[in-house]
Amino acid sequence: MNTVTIKFLAFSAILMTATISVVMSLDIEIFEDTTNTLTIFGIVIPLSINMLTMAGAIAIAVITSMVTGKYIHQMKTDTATGKLAEESWDGIGEYKNELPSGWAYTFLGLFIWSMWYGFIGYPINAYSQIGEYNEEVLAYNKKFEHKHKNADEETLKKMGESIFSVQCSQCHGEKGDGLSGRAEDFTQKSTESILKIINEGQNALHSFPGGMPGGMASGQDAEDIAKYVASGFKGTEPPMYAVCGGCHGANGEGVEMVGPRINGFDMKNTLAKGKKGLIGEMPAFNTLITPIQEKALTVYIQSLSN
Amino acid sequence: MQSNASLEYDYSLAKKFTYLTILFGFLGMLVGTLIAAQMAFPELNYLLGEYGTFSRLRPVHTNTVVFGFTVSGIFATWFYLGQRVLKVSLAESRFLMVLGNIQFWLYLVGVLAATVSLVLGYSTSKEYAQYEWPFDIVIILVWVLWGINMMGLIGIRREKALYISVWYYLACFLGIAMLYLFNNMEIPTYFASGGLGNPMHSVSMYSGTNDALVQWWYGHNAVAFGFTVPIVGMIYYFLPKESGQAIYSYKLSLLSFWGLMFVYLWAGSHHLLWTTVPDWMQTMGSAFSIVLILPSWGSAINMLLTMKGEWNQLTENPLIKFMVLASTFYMLSTIEGPIQAIRSVNAIAHFTDWIPGHVHDGVLGWVVFMMMAAIFHMTPRMFKREIYSRKLMEFQFWLQTIAVVLYFTSMWIAGITQGMMWRAVDEYGNLMYSFIETVVILEPYYMIRTLSGVMYLIGFMMFAYNIYKTVTAGRKLSTEPQFRTPMA
Amino acid sequence: MFHWLEKNPFFFAAAISIVISFAGLIEIVPNFTQAGRPLIDMKPRTVLEIAGKNVYMKDNCMACHSQMIRPFKSETDRYGAYSLSGEYAYDRPFLWGSKRTGPDLHRIGNYRTTDWHEAHMLNPPLIVPGSIMPAYDHQFVNLADIETAYAEAVTVKNVFHTPYGPEVRRGREAWEAYKPTLIEEARKIASDMKDPRVIEAMKKGDVPEVVALIAYMNSLK
Ligand code: HEC
Ligand code: HEC
Ligand code: HEC
Ligand code: HEM
Ligand code: HEM
Ligand SMILES: [Ca+2]
Ligand SMILES: [Ca+2]
Ligand SMILES: [Cu+2]
Repeated sequence: MNTVTIKFLAFSAILMTATISVVMSLDIEIFEDTTNTLTIFGIVIPLSINMLTMAGAIAIAVITSMVTGKYIHQMKTDTATGKLAEESWDGIGEYKNELPSGWAYTFLGLFIWSMWYGFIGYPINAYSQIGEYNEEVLAYNKKFEHKHKNADEETLKKMGESIFSVQCSQCHGEKGDGLSGRAEDFTQKSTESILKIINEGQNALHSFPGGMPGGMASGQDAEDIAKYVASGFKGTEPPMYAVCGGCHGANGEGVEMVGPRINGFDMKNTLAKGKKGLIGEMPAFNTLITPIQEKALTVYIQSLSN
Repeated sequence: MQSNASLEYDYSLAKKFTYLTILFGFLGMLVGTLIAAQMAFPELNYLLGEYGTFSRLRPVHTNTVVFGFTVSGIFATWFYLGQRVLKVSLAESRFLMVLGNIQFWLYLVGVLAATVSLVLGYSTSKEYAQYEWPFDIVIILVWVLWGINMMGLIGIRREKALYISVWYYLACFLGIAMLYLFNNMEIPTYFASGGLGNPMHSVSMYSGTNDALVQWWYGHNAVAFGFTVPIVGMIYYFLPKESGQAIYSYKLSLLSFWGLMFVYLWAGSHHLLWTTVPDWMQTMGSAFSIVLILPSWGSAINMLLTMKGEWNQLTENPLIKFMVLASTFYMLSTIEGPIQAIRSVNAIAHFTDWIPGHVHDGVLGWVVFMMMAAIFHMTPRMFKREIYSRKLMEFQFWLQTIAVVLYFTSMWIAGITQGMMWRAVDEYGNLMYSFIETVVILEPYYMIRTLSGVMYLIGFMMFAYNIYKTVTAGRKLSTEPQFRTPMA
Repeated sequence: MFHWLEKNPFFFAAAISIVISFAGLIEIVPNFTQAGRPLIDMKPRTVLEIAGKNVYMKDNCMACHSQMIRPFKSETDRYGAYSLSGEYAYDRPFLWGSKRTGPDLHRIGNYRTTDWHEAHMLNPPLIVPGSIMPAYDHQFVNLADIETAYAEAVTVKNVFHTPYGPEVRRGREAWEAYKPTLIEEARKIASDMKDPRVIEAMKKGDVPEVVALIAYMNSLK
């Protein structure tokens, strides 16, 4: 190898090392195991998109370095020869040299390869990217869904935290504090707002067409209930809570089609249909959140106010 | 064969378009540097109120460098080398001279007005075809005028066989004419609604997936026939002319040319991988992109081999350096593109900064370098003066080379990182990163890119200054230099 | 044979034209009727939403935002179901974008709301710390060009048979008759907004750009 090529390759090595170390520092797996494999002469190579991309990047750097390095080096060592054509244009001549054979054979080879690619690799009338997507989802389910079926509280909480950061933090804030009143603040339930609901009623969740009428309790009773509900049902239950229990369940766990959960935040109905209340509007998340994710989010969000 | 000396070429049009190349190059890159800075320092969005946001300025950047800078450069070099390789002076036909001047003024007014319209928010939103319909008409008119001029000059030529560069300019004209026309088919709503609303507004003839297909058939091949074909045409003239070396192989020229013509058009759907475009079209785009490496590299290799044994020229003549480096970057971007066109790689690369990285390997390392080399070569011959400063040229070369390297390495790392972050899942199988985390992490790379933009822009200003001083204060030459460009 | 061609510019040009044309013919034409078909029961955008789409084009949001959810689990988890060809059948032009400096917006209507957009368009980093998206304050001042949007609806109805009702037709009279419907639609959106400039404008029967833009974004589902 010549010095030009070596310099180019050294530069490529630095670039690739930098790229790989940045990616690895983010906990991203480049060589994860996947269901995609490539079989060449019976040898099975696991393939992941990340690995193929890195391989592609390395190929760009290495092939360019080798080939340009070779030709630039030739400027140092070789001399121009050949038979000149009869013509010249504005003083520019032209040799009748043959094609560089490496170039010609690679061209031919790639043309044949492209035929293989179109008719066998990704058969023109058989390959489907949606089919590949379905496989990806199946493989994923095999790997994860089963694994977290019976996850414990701690796992669910961590899981919920990361889902929250991706899907919910844009409104509720990275810490779940509601970005100073822009959305629900999960770190506390305020007695005043519950009192207000008891007095005035509410029709904000889209899961209960009639909403809740106001004035079912008043005075000291209402205040006691509000405090009790805001605390997350801690301490002794005020006797008048029975009024609420009819719709919200004895422990405030909510009753299907009748009243939402109030011993915490009603994730199920809010995520299913959304909520449009005094603070603003919460969109429904019925397609983006799976049941297990909902469970994890619930654990995480309840943990914020404790 | 008639000797060159007896012919007095007319460079007035070449000169005019050279001025525009420098002007639009400067403006386009100034805006490029500004939008690069806006991605690192968002406060810079508010320098010009509503007209200064990143989103308004981005198409100003792309259209100014494409339709302003690159197209001017194509015209300038054609009006210079066309005459020389066809061995006929433009001045021999009054008709062609007049036509050329109309073309120049129409073009200047058209591009300036179109740029203002983009700043004001008139845009059809199809990339590299954002100009609204009135400007499309001007662009098409200018193009047709140029075509007539080119055909006319070919018609009265003395050199029977067309030189390789002419093949490429001819293909450039035909390709862009076809692409531009079909992709910009739009219906002005004012006339179709009985005189309602803004007369500038139009709707595309095509909708949805079809519109995307036509757009990227155009977009990809606009790269082909704008950033590749004419630039290859340039290097086939200026490198052998500057070095005095004969082209390495006619056969290689021939196969590369027809290979490029044939293969390029099939590859457009690599801009639409994993979209709702039918799978078989994506497969074709992917496959032909890989094949495309070879006709592209063919021309570059032909150029590098032309310089076989000329190491001393490479070290002594900065103009040769520019052109050899341009070939190298051309090779880099024409293997990078194909690899990004592989389905699996594109799954990561598409939508990320790796794509602008690839773009600027090509445009900064190849297009602009080649164009500057061409102007450095033409100026002493058009103005009969020696290049003002060789030192400045050397310095500019290294400054801009480092700038391109910084640009593409930073965007390479940024793009791959972002692409992988979008896909990353945590141990529970959920997405690992929120979108904003993938934005914040890129800040250092955006800063490096901004730095590279500033460096490149300064290099370009040094180039402009050097040309200005050459024209006004360069040592006068009594005879036209045959090969190597004289410089002080 | 090639040398002969190189001496005959006319045939040379003809040869280039043929070689570069037929890839387009083979790759684009066969799909043309098929890919243009809308999904069953799909409605075209309302005139207000068209006006919003035109704001999206004017401020060139597609410089940073895509509208194309690719069939990868990582994308369907983040943005919702992968995009289908038929969903774009009424989009002129298509607005898929080619760069995601910001997130995909093809289904943004599913998981963001009017009040959120209002706050976000006014000052993105305040809502999403670290955001590099510019603030679009001028959209709260500039009025949406609703007449041009109507002209667009009329055009696509008459030329491309986009299924708009009889209320969308040529001429100023038809437009004046239609306008109240549009203002009503805009009021519904604006009722969830707080910015005094928007409230003021809506009172006068004007539609600020941001209202139309939000109507458009809410329709992206
Ligand atoms: C008639 C049935 C009924 C009774 C009795 C009732 N609620 Fe409700 N409650 C509802 C319904 C239905 C909603 C959901 C309203 C909506 O759509 O916003 C609700 C909502 C609430 C909410 C807001 C939950 C949220 O996620 O926004 C609180 C807090 C609440 N009730 C507390 C109480 C208390 C305390 C009492 C007793 C004084 C009570 N409710 C009695 C039916 C009832
Ligand atoms: C577009 C903004 C937005 C997003 C995204 C968002 N929320 Fe909300 N959310 C709100 C707003 C606004 C409210 C308050 C509605 C009101 O009461 O006025 C709210 C309220 C809620 C409530 C109701 C609390 C109660 O019991 O009354 C829950 C639970 C909730 N959000 C959970 C989530 C979860 C989990 C996510 C993510 C999957 C999420 N939200 C994403 C805006 C959002
Ligand atoms: C300079 C790039 C840039 C431009 C231009 C831009 N955005 Fe953004 N956009 C972003 C970034 C980065 C984010 C992610 C951070 C955030 O939410 O602010 C974003 C987020 C968004 C979101 C929230 C999406 C989500 O899923 O959370 C919406 C909606 C949006 N932008 C709309 C627009 C509109 C409408 C325009 C044009 C008027 C626009 N953007 C122009 C960069 C940009
Ligand atoms: C063999 C030749 C080439 C191939 C196969 C190729 C391939 C590609 C691919 C796959 C993309 C990315 C599409 C995406 O995922 O968004 C792309 C983008 C691009 N390339 Fe190339 N490329 C080639 C050469 C070049 C050259 C030489 C230049 C410029 C001098 C160039 C300019 C561009 C531009 C401007 C874009 C951006 C298009 C957009 O706006 O999205 N390409 N190319
Ligand atoms: C000083 C030099 C330049 C700088 C700093 C610069 C910077 C930029 C930036 C920041 C973008 C937007 C990228 C994004 O959205 O993420 C861009 C896009 C682009 N630039 Fe430049 N640019 C420069 C010179 C040029 C030149 C000379 C050309 C062409 C001859 C060019 C062609 C393009 C194209 C085609 C795009 C669109 C790429 C795409 O859509 O993928 N740029 N540039
Ligand atoms: Ca146009
Ligand atoms: Ca682009
Ligand atoms: Cu392309």
